[in-house]
Amino acid sequence: MADTAVPLAKVERAGFVPGVAYALLAVAVLLAIARPWLPEVLVRVPDWMILPYEGWFQWFFDFLKDDLGLIHVTRAISAVLEWFLDATANLLYGKSRWPNIGPIPWTAIAAVAAVIGYGLGGWRLALLAGGTSVWVSLIGQWDLAMQTLSVIAVAAPAAFMIGLSLGILAWKSSRFEAIMRPTLAVLQTLPFFTYLLPAVIFFKVGPTAGCVATIVYAIPPMVLMTTLGLKKVPPEVVEAGLMSGSTRWQMLRHVYLPAARTEILVGVNQVIMLSLAMVVLTAFIGMPGLGAKLLALMNSLKLGRSFEIGVTIVLIAITLDRLSKAWIVKQPQHFMRGTPWWRRNQLLLVGIGLFIGLIIVAQFVQVADQLTRGQDLSMGSEIDDIIRGALANPTVDAATSWLRQVMITYILIPFRNAVLWLPSLSIILCLAAAGYAVGGRRSALLAGGFFAIVALTGWWDRAMITVYAVFSAVIIAMLIGLPLGILAARNKKWSEPILLVCDTAQTFPSFIYLIPAIMLFGVNDLSVIFAIVIFATVPLMRYTIEGIRNVPAELIEAAEMSGASRSQKLWKVQIPLALPTMAIGFNQAIMFAFFMVIIAAFIGTQDLGQELQKTLAGNQLGKNLVLGMCVALMALSFDHIIMRWSETRRKALGVA
Amino acid sequence: MTTLRTFTAAALLASSATFAFAEDSTDPITIPIHNWSSQIVMSHVVGKILEAQGNSVEFVTTDSQAVYESVRLGDVTMELEVWEGAFGASFRAAMEQGGIEDVATHNAVTREDWWYPMWTKEACPGLPDWNALNACAALFATPETGTKGRFLGGPVDWLKHDAEKVEALGLNFQVVNAGSAAAIWAELAAAEKTKTPIVVFNWTPNFAEAVWPGEFVNFPEWVEGCDTDPAVGPIPDKTYDCGNPANGYLKIAAWDGMKDKWPAAYATLQQVNFTNAQIAEMAKFVDIDEMEAEDAAQAWLDANEAVWKPWIE
Amino acid sequence: MSAAEPVITCRNVWKLFGAGADRYLEMARGKSFDQIREDGYITAVRDVTLEVRRGELLVIMGLSGSGKSTLVRCMSRLNDITGGEIIVDGQNIMTLSERELIELRRRKMGMVFQSFGLLPHRTVLDNVAFPLEMRGQSSHDRRERAMEVIKLVGLQGREDYFPRELSGGQQQRVGIARSLAIEPDIWFLDEPFSALDPLIRREMQDEFLRLREMLGKTIVFITHDFDEALRLADRIAIMKDGAVEQCDTPDKIVLNPATDYVAKFTEKVEKSRVVHARGLCRPLNGHAVEGPSVSGDLTVLQLARQLVNEPREFLPVADTQGQIIGVMRRQDALDILLGPA
Repeated sequence: MADTAVPLAKVERAGFVPGVAYALLAVAVLLAIARPWLPEVLVRVPDWMILPYEGWFQWFFDFLKDDLGLIHVTRAISAVLEWFLDATANLLYGKSRWPNIGPIPWTAIAAVAAVIGYGLGGWRLALLAGGTSVWVSLIGQWDLAMQTLSVIAVAAPAAFMIGLSLGILAWKSSRFEAIMRPTLAVLQTLPFFTYLLPAVIFFKVGPTAGCVATIVYAIPPMVLMTTLGLKKVPPEVVEAGLMSGSTRWQMLRHVYLPAARTEILVGVNQVIMLSLAMVVLTAFIGMPGLGAKLLALMNSLKLGRSFEIGVTIVLIAITLDRLSKAWIVKQPQHFMRGTPWWRRNQLLLVGIGLFIGLIIVAQFVQVADQLTRGQDLSMGSEIDDIIRGALANPTVDAATSWLRQVMITYILIPFRNAVLWLPSLSIILCLAAAGYAVGGRRSALLAGGFFAIVALTGWWDRAMITVYAVFSAVIIAMLIGLPLGILAARNKKWSEPILLVCDTAQTFPSFIYLIPAIMLFGVNDLSVIFAIVIFATVPLMRYTIEGIRNVPAELIEAAEMSGASRSQKLWKVQIPLALPTMAIGFNQAIMFAFFMVIIAAFIGTQDLGQELQKTLAGNQLGKNLVLGMCVALMALSFDHIIMRWSETRRKALGVA
Repeated sequence: MTTLRTFTAAALLASSATFAFAEDSTDPITIPIHNWSSQIVMSHVVGKILEAQGNSVEFVTTDSQAVYESVRLGDVTMELEVWEGAFGASFRAAMEQGGIEDVATHNAVTREDWWYPMWTKEACPGLPDWNALNACAALFATPETGTKGRFLGGPVDWLKHDAEKVEALGLNFQVVNAGSAAAIWAELAAAEKTKTPIVVFNWTPNFAEAVWPGEFVNFPEWVEGCDTDPAVGPIPDKTYDCGNPANGYLKIAAWDGMKDKWPAAYATLQQVNFTNAQIAEMAKFVDIDEMEAEDAAQAWLDANEAVWKPWIE
Repeated sequence: MSAAEPVITCRNVWKLFGAGADRYLEMARGKSFDQIREDGYITAVRDVTLEVRRGELLVIMGLSGSGKSTLVRCMSRLNDITGGEIIVDGQNIMTLSERELIELRRRKMGMVFQSFGLLPHRTVLDNVAFPLEMRGQSSHDRRERAMEVIKLVGLQGREDYFPRELSGGQQQRVGIARSLAIEPDIWFLDEPFSALDPLIRREMQDEFLRLREMLGKTIVFITHDFDEALRLADRIAIMKDGAVEQCDTPDKIVLNPATDYVAKFTEKVEKSRVVHARGLCRPLNGHAVEGPSVSGDLTVLQLARQLVNEPREFLPVADTQGQIIGVMRRQDALDILLGPA
């Protein structure tokens, strides 16, 4: 039979007692059943046990900032950053600062973009890069886009350099790596609201704070990819370097870094994408450009023009993504001997030529320099009408009203009340049980312990509302994403467009989803969940497709030769083998949901996100950090359980 | 000889000028802009006036609450719209910490309170009297509030006391906080399609008045102390048993180093004063006429020279 | 064989992998490979004592996991040894500072790797010039010398190619050229031809013999292929579980395998192709030398026709200079050719 093709070896773990997980779970269930008779102490952490963490953090921050004078250091750093930001701002949109030669005409930038596109990936990428520039200009957002890019042009290289250095350090010293890994994990799960306040206080509101927040957000994958790449350098290449008599520095510079090129460039790609993901969020702390404009437009309900900005951001993101990916796979090509210098550097010369040529042209032809307002082709109000028309459609309205009624009354509110009703201890034990089942005592302590800390901060109920929203959304996302993913994986014609939709949905600024969500469902949990679902479905689909696609062909052939039908093949071979990969998608969906649920505070929630939003008004750094940590800890707890499971499962299945 | 004479004259002139007016610093004055149109346009209007005086001006986009911390630190130089209701708390907190000062108060008054669009009145004719709300509570009910009416409040970081008001006045309502102004507008736009009755948090001056005509609910009139002293107001044992002030202030705040660094600009800023009508006009240029903020500011300046010329003399 | 001075001397070299191997070493002596593994350590090199003489080609032969690659890495100090000592050119390499070690590698050692170890982002020329660049030679000198070596390995015309644009055999030629660029005294080759197709392997072996003839370097050559070892070696060291089972000339190994393990390799070998006249040579001991001598470098197979028709019982054997070094008993040679009677 087909399932004999799946070897299921049990992975042995030292000191693992299988009964413990069940025992923990049983206690959890008992506590839940006995809830009405339990003393209050067992249901929620009593007030006297809740320590004033907020005050401690606040004190610690004040101590760092004022007593240790950290603020002088950070302000000095922001002065340096500001100098760079001013220079890029001058070049890209003509801010009156050194070197006072900008702005560079849009046609010159567009031409260079197209030439780079051609160099990296031929005509298709030339068209994408040039076309995006033309679109941005025609739609009348050139200046805004350049304001955004002027910050990213500083933030991305800074994140690259810092990430690369930290990655090298982590690779050199395992002790440093041991500190670095959990720090990065926390950084990646910390809600963005928690970045904002420290960024403003320590680095000055405006582009500098935006730049710093972007850098911090974009560093983690760079560090991880650098370390990974350096570890993967083939030992013989290393030995060849050593035998050539390289010093340590020569080894790093000439052997390790070039040999880890692919991973490092993947890191660069991630840095760029994450920087773009922060465009809108950092607008809250002074990041100029597209994000700030988007927020202003949304506040006066100009959906059409917000949508256009969203499209611009997506186009820029896709362009930079494709360009950097093309760079990753691009391998150097040799020239025939005797090729003259100008032929070897043909593209460079064409680029420089066009750049200078167009700058000169722009001195005489206004359109080549910049498009003024009125020359653009924005269709903002038309799109507005279309969106409003679609939403006002009676069928849509009836459907959404019905959905709202049913979902809220019969599903969401009962689910939420149930989560809130459960004793804290019960939930903590459940997680510990899951932790024990996947990774033994250590995982049980981590998974349960993280939630226990949340309980001890006194924000349990708020935290549970966050968890409830996350899980409702992820469950719905699974109902949508898994079938679509399976369908797409089985049929190549489907998978291409679906992956494109995934890419687009992921880069489309999340804010833009919020408004249609509210217009469809009103300010309530359903809108929140709807907004999360859009985001969380993407990784589920993507990893399902990837998991099923990567099942080794021999196994499929073996199943076919065993006479498996299509559905037998799917259920007995493909899905079991794809499960560890799908779990990664599930994990990402949860991480995205935790990210999005905090953003959904802008719709209106009653969870940790709302409290976090409140702290921004009062500059309560301590409370802000405590709440942020609660979100991060919960996310990390789930992350640990799922990733641990996926790893063990992979080993058991013997798939890489 | 002539050169010498002109030189002396210039030196004299220069010294007398410093005597009268310390020279403004050449560093740029930083004006924060937020995410609502009137504030953006007003910032550009003032920016252009200061530029005309020879200052260099820069704009920076910031959060409207966090900005007071930045003014205090001198990272931004001024804040042109300090709403009593929305930002009074942050402003006062910053004043207590020092570094920020209250430069001027606009003639414009601000009001923030429960508000409804006109179609609501058709369904619940007893409005704007607040007592009518209880009678019509069922009209405002939604799945998530059950039988109670729903009031869509502003974001929690605006620090309103709607829930206390509901409690004090015994309203059969539940407060649901929207997460952003945009969320309120989206709800209004959605309600407009089906003319669903709705009560939301709103304020004036605001572009929404032009898009959706409506009225504020008449709560018992605000009396000083109504929010702190239970005895004040119609319900003897409750606080917040009143509406918000119908004429809240709209102030201009500045970094307290401004008057030394840019004395001339500071002097101008003390003169700046807008009325409700002027602010509404600025917002209209952007929100209705779809102009860019900078163009709107220029248009306003061109049309209202009589208003602003005296400020710089 | 002439007793040339040793270039590399290994004395009781041990290499154990595992945490705290230094401390464990004392306990490991006398324990078997499996016992040591049960204690959580891997024995890669076990009490190895051998010499590599100047100008000699020593082949270290063993199956995978026998420790042969580790041993050669100990000789170049890519791996630090756990016990014993290794003397290279009179210096104990374990006492060298990092600077001295780098200097040693820059001046005296070259190494070729099984999967080539080429730097993917550098052209053939830049790969070959890499060791020269590391020791700070000017770019002009570098280029000149690199072109010379590239020509030597027959890759002229390809110097601007990138490694991935070349076939496996060509890539290994680059690896060889790189290892020769600094004109090393000692040349390590770690299974250089194992990753190549059989036909290419043969061709590369010939190429290698040609270079060896021309350059006359001291060579340590690692292989898992016994035939390759027989074909190339002056002497062969056969390793098993980290220890050297036998170290001798191919003739002697084939004729007198020291252990059962070695015998397993030799029994399938067609001895007449391997054993040379000099291998069967015994001292004159008063034997009268009569008639023309045979060259000691010829294999028994090559002498087959002559042996069959040869009336003499003892044949004089001459070295390359024509000096008589001893006599070969005809019957011994025939036994090898036809199998013992």
